[in-house]
Amino acid sequence: MLDQCLLAEVVQFTYSKGIDFVEIYVEEKQASNIFCEDDQIEKVYSGRERGAGIRVVKDYNTAYVYTNDLSRNGLIKAAAIARDAIHGEPSIAPQPINLIKKEAAFHINYQRLPEQVAFEEKIQYVLRANQAARKVSRLIRQVTVAAADIHKKIQIANSIGEYIEDDRSRVRLLVNTVSESKGIIQTGYESAGGVCGWELLGEVSFDDMAVKAAELSVRMLSAKPAPAGRMPVVMSSEAGGTMVHEACGHGLEADLIQKGLSVYRNKLGVQVAAPCVSVIDDATIANKYGSFSFDDEGTPGQRTVLIEDGILKNYLYDRLTAKKDGRVSTGNGRRESYQHKPVVRMSNTLISPGKENPEEIIAATSQGLLVKKMGGGQVNTTNGDFVFDVQEGYVIQDGKIKHPVRGATLSGNGPLALANIDKVGNDLGFSIGICGKDGQGVPVADAQPTIRIKELTVGGTMLANGT
Amino acid sequence: MEQILRTVGEKTLNEAVHNGVEAEAFLMHTKELSIEIVDGRVETLKQAEETGLGIRVIKDGRTGFAFTSDLSDKAVKNAVQDAISISVFTTQDEYQILPEKAVYPDLQVFDQDTAAMSLEEKIEIARSVERCAKSVDMRISIIERSGYDDLEYCNLIMNSKGLYAYETGNFSGIYIFLVAEDDNDAQNGFSTMSVRKVKDLSAALVGKEAAVNAIRALNARPIRSGRMPVILDPYVATRFSGIIASMVNAEAVQKGKSMFAGKIGEQVASPLCTIIDDATLEEGIASGLFDSEGVPAQKKIVIENGILNTYLHNTYTAQKDRVVSTGNAQRGSFRGLPSVGSTNFIIAPGRENKDSLIDGIDRGFYVTEVMGMHTANPISGDFSVGAAGIMIENGVLTYPVRGVTMAGNMAEFLQNIDAAASNFRFYGGKGSPSIRIKELSIAGE
Repeated sequence: MLDQCLLAEVVQFTYSKGIDFVEIYVEEKQASNIFCEDDQIEKVYSGRERGAGIRVVKDYNTAYVYTNDLSRNGLIKAAAIARDAIHGEPSIAPQPINLIKKEAAFHINYQRLPEQVAFEEKIQYVLRANQAARKVSRLIRQVTVAAADIHKKIQIANSIGEYIEDDRSRVRLLVNTVSESKGIIQTGYESAGGVCGWELLGEVSFDDMAVKAAELSVRMLSAKPAPAGRMPVVMSSEAGGTMVHEACGHGLEADLIQKGLSVYRNKLGVQVAAPCVSVIDDATIANKYGSFSFDDEGTPGQRTVLIEDGILKNYLYDRLTAKKDGRVSTGNGRRESYQHKPVVRMSNTLISPGKENPEEIIAATSQGLLVKKMGGGQVNTTNGDFVFDVQEGYVIQDGKIKHPVRGATLSGNGPLALANIDKVGNDLGFSIGICGKDGQGVPVADAQPTIRIKELTVGGTMLANGT
Repeated sequence: MEQILRTVGEKTLNEAVHNGVEAEAFLMHTKELSIEIVDGRVETLKQAEETGLGIRVIKDGRTGFAFTSDLSDKAVKNAVQDAISISVFTTQDEYQILPEKAVYPDLQVFDQDTAAMSLEEKIEIARSVERCAKSVDMRISIIERSGYDDLEYCNLIMNSKGLYAYETGNFSGIYIFLVAEDDNDAQNGFSTMSVRKVKDLSAALVGKEAAVNAIRALNARPIRSGRMPVILDPYVATRFSGIIASMVNAEAVQKGKSMFAGKIGEQVASPLCTIIDDATLEEGIASGLFDSEGVPAQKKIVIENGILNTYLHNTYTAQKDRVVSTGNAQRGSFRGLPSVGSTNFIIAPGRENKDSLIDGIDRGFYVTEVMGMHTANPISGDFSVGAAGIMIENGVLTYPVRGVTMAGNMAEFLQNIDAAASNFRFYGGKGSPSIRIKELSIAGE
């Protein structure tokens, strides 16, 4: 960690006439990865990295300079490049910067930090999960198990005089399985993670994840080609909230709104979803993968109601976009590392649970698709169109779950899909991921109850007329 | 810079050899510039300098890896020790070896003009992309992002077998994301270009391409489901070639994660299909004198007239298959071990004019955009992606289409390529002409 006086000096040096905002972000991290494939521990590595990013803002234009030379000279050199790039004039009798430390409103507790758990122990967990997956069936051809952890120490100082120190740890577990039978190959996938230490394993079982992934890949071997066409889609809570994150959440990020790139522009107070739908972004849920006590520009993590009973209530803001709209930041300024400037990002995003029993939702659906696990997806925020891959799907017929299907994709339009939700279950399921935007990835969690969308386009290889 | 990196490399190897292990030092220094323009203003200007070291040690067939951005004597020593202590936990593997020293091709990957060009001139290039796009049509309403990037790198690899490789290179690029709007609809358009020589950047081409993409998509609608001939424009074809690149990756093949396993010498694609991986192409941005473990750059015909010739190998996968590395070791940065990846990966152009590809098609689909390509499964070959483009009726392009999915299997896709045009274009490290697929299933209404 760098001396607070040095940070004040760098901010002071950079904060010259005509400049609106200066910030230095310092990061020191230690990461380790374990990767098992082909029944062997194939890759293990550990690394240390230190770096700082200096951000200078003038009239909403940003200069960002980063370096991993953290000496006084290195930082001053980087600061000068940033200041000159934005045409700040060298300091003319500047106000002295008095850094005052901000305390977090809530703390994330860590029990077993990554460096407190020996490599041997982590490797044992990975090997055990590998065994558990392979035992499921002789049709399993490949199992990949990975565990990664990262421990970051962060300092942020800015020209408003704010100073923040934060200590963050995350653990992520992954299992991937491949099954084969009669030339047909199918895959299964499970992941879990949190802003926590290795106590994560008290909450989730790595072995159970492995078994689940393996069972899925085997089950999908007997899957039939997915039906194609427009039909009702029930998304189980197990599917997690990928859809709401992609098809709605991104469109509520203020930078996209301000550039006119979102279908939700000028829609505050307007009915944008069915009345049974509420959407919340909440960084304060304990130990979820998108939780934080401070965002990456020092604003406390918060709970923000985005859509309430179908009415659009708020957008997500970082400092810069908030200032533009005359608002305050909602604590959603995040960055991947010191190599990136903060941009507006979600934390843990969810559709609030409703009142219906998930089983009754399926029972009330005469024909359609049940989605139990989502794969990757892509969304066009300008018009709201999205496409998602279905990892685990089943045909629903006469209110009953029938055979599994493979190769299905869901395509539709975010606002339309939200308006078409007609049933909301009383359960809630989370999924985790690394969300990419502007070339940076940050950890997020998404959640949803079981929901039914009246109609979506399901793309599959089997067309409705049987060809 | 070479001297600074070399000193650290020597220190690393000395420390490792002192501990009785084989070792490789991978050192990288990068200088990055990115300029993002909105309405003629520089919205974000980013400059960065970074140096780092990745250490691979092999002890009794066990590999350990550690990285550090701190190159002080103490940090380097710690990292070597970390790598050695980690190696104990990895599985013994006889194929884990370091490459021997080699002679490198004479290839110019450093463009003096990029290095000499002033920041103001680079900002002007970025601005002109935006201007060119706007001048195409009144309906270009929003420029989401447009900009200029360049990257300069010095890369040094040395290992305890005496291998020593050093190169310095750079490349530059421009891009634009925009929106076209009329009374009823808004659509995105995008284009990009990356080049080895900054003078090859064409703001006019990129700006126009993005604008045309957005405008021609306005008021698109879904079509009736069915099987039909499909033409992929070069950008879309390169998205598919990304999937092909992962299927010829020896790492994936050896682990049973590719449908191409055991298919060397077989007809895996139509005779009209030839795919080349060429690291020696001077104008390609994925070119270099050597790969990420110091093996000399090579040109490989991966699929020749439909026949699968070779997989892409690094030293490890080559050793395992008892072949010679094809120079396809790849790492994103100093933070990881080398894996296998493509270099300049090219679907070879054909002779036909791109416009003649639609001749004689009664009902077909000209694809200009695919969504969710990463969901394609390289093992089973199944893909189902969102698509947008233009309907072909009676041999002419008619109305724009969106909201459909295009599904099939890569094996069928490759066998069904029935034409390749002459309009070859690179998008990053992947290049392709327009290609035609005899038939694919399109799901719409």
